[in-house]
Amino acid sequence: MNTAKSKGLALCPKCHKLNSLQAEPQQCSRCHGMFYQRKHNSLQYTLAWNVAALIAFIPANLYPIMIVYQLGIPSDATILSGIGEFIDHGLYPIAIIIFTASIIVPLIKIIGLFVLVYKAHTGIRLKPNKHSKIYHILEFLGPWSMLDVFVVALMVTVVELGFVTSVAAGPAINYFTITVIFTMFAANSFDPRLLWDKKADKKTIEQALLPSDKLLENLLGTLPEEKGQK
Amino acid sequence: MNSKINPTFFVACQQCDALYDKPQLKQGQLAKCNRCGSTLIERKVDSIERSFNWSLAGLMLMLPAILLPIMGVTLAGQFHQASLFDCILVLIDRGFFMIASLVFLFAIAVPIVRLAGALYISYSFKFHKLKPSLLNFFRAYHYLDNWAMLNVFMLGIVVSMYKLIDDTELSINLGLFAFVFWLICSTMSAAALDQDYIWDKLERAFPRNCANEHS
Repeated sequence: MNTAKSKGLALCPKCHKLNSLQAEPQQCSRCHGMFYQRKHNSLQYTLAWNVAALIAFIPANLYPIMIVYQLGIPSDATILSGIGEFIDHGLYPIAIIIFTASIIVPLIKIIGLFVLVYKAHTGIRLKPNKHSKIYHILEFLGPWSMLDVFVVALMVTVVELGFVTSVAAGPAINYFTITVIFTMFAANSFDPRLLWDKKADKKTIEQALLPSDKLLENLLGTLPEEKGQK
Repeated sequence: MNSKINPTFFVACQQCDALYDKPQLKQGQLAKCNRCGSTLIERKVDSIERSFNWSLAGLMLMLPAILLPIMGVTLAGQFHQASLFDCILVLIDRGFFMIASLVFLFAIAVPIVRLAGALYISYSFKFHKLKPSLLNFFRAYHYLDNWAMLNVFMLGIVVSMYKLIDDTELSINLGLFAFVFWLICSTMSAAALDQDYIWDKLERAFPRNCANEHS
């Protein structure tokens, strides 16, 4: 299969025009945006945002996310204890929605991106077809974890009855939004084309190794150079 | 490497970089990548007309959706209602600047800018008032693709209603309906905008601005 990279072309990520690659970064001849053939330092950026998101996710779960004042007495709830309250009240659908949006989705995104970065870097058991689909699911899920933030924002505004009942946002909300935004940055900086590149690289190396065992020893010596040329 | 290929006769898949001959599509057709299955090029039906109308409707619904109260709460004889705009004022008032700015950005500012951008682009195409500055404008428009979260905010409204319905008397106001229609309009106007067609047209309209590479 021909790729744009193998023909010395590069696709502008903004206007989707093919440019012949002359310099990196290349200026798009149509929209004048600067871009790289692959997202620049894609794996490193993804990894960095991902680690930051994971770190921010810890205080997001430990601190209270919402503090309810009833007759002046505060009672605070973390994300998990809030979900527990829903289950106690028998509101299972809402408990499931909140649990998926604020615990499962960020975790799956962080773990999934770690796995994708690892696979794209090493090429071990890489199935680009399957993995690029996983990437699209992760990318789609991104904004939905903001749900909890919007719910808290709405609760703070709507339940504002002075002394009787009022709601305040806890410190966890800041960490949680940081987590969500960082995972979105991480997903945006990952380039799924790297998965296909790695697979293609591996295939050419495997084909070179196939012919016979005698050739194999000779080839092994030259392999690193071959890889470097690509 | 082979540098004689003319890039205008080819398309590459955005997701896996596979290279294909450029297909000639009619309205309503779309080309998919053989290798990864994502869409290569799509020619949308009536793109300009539709996105013009949807974004105009969206901009008209914007004010009621933001200013009318979305829902009200009655508890212990006290009534309190809030609109999207109140939401931000209250959050700033109580010192939650981060959530206030997030709600403002993702639920108000980005959707409005996107609607206005879609309207401006479809307006200039509809009345043939193309300018070279549109090239930069449309590129900037793409930066906001991921950051409109009206649909998430809508789900947030539903969830918080569920939360409140248990121990308070909840009333739904006109603002909610306006918000739902606003959400529909902004989603449709973004979906109707045919990027490939617009870029093609812009490139053909301003060959001099675009051809600096091939000269």
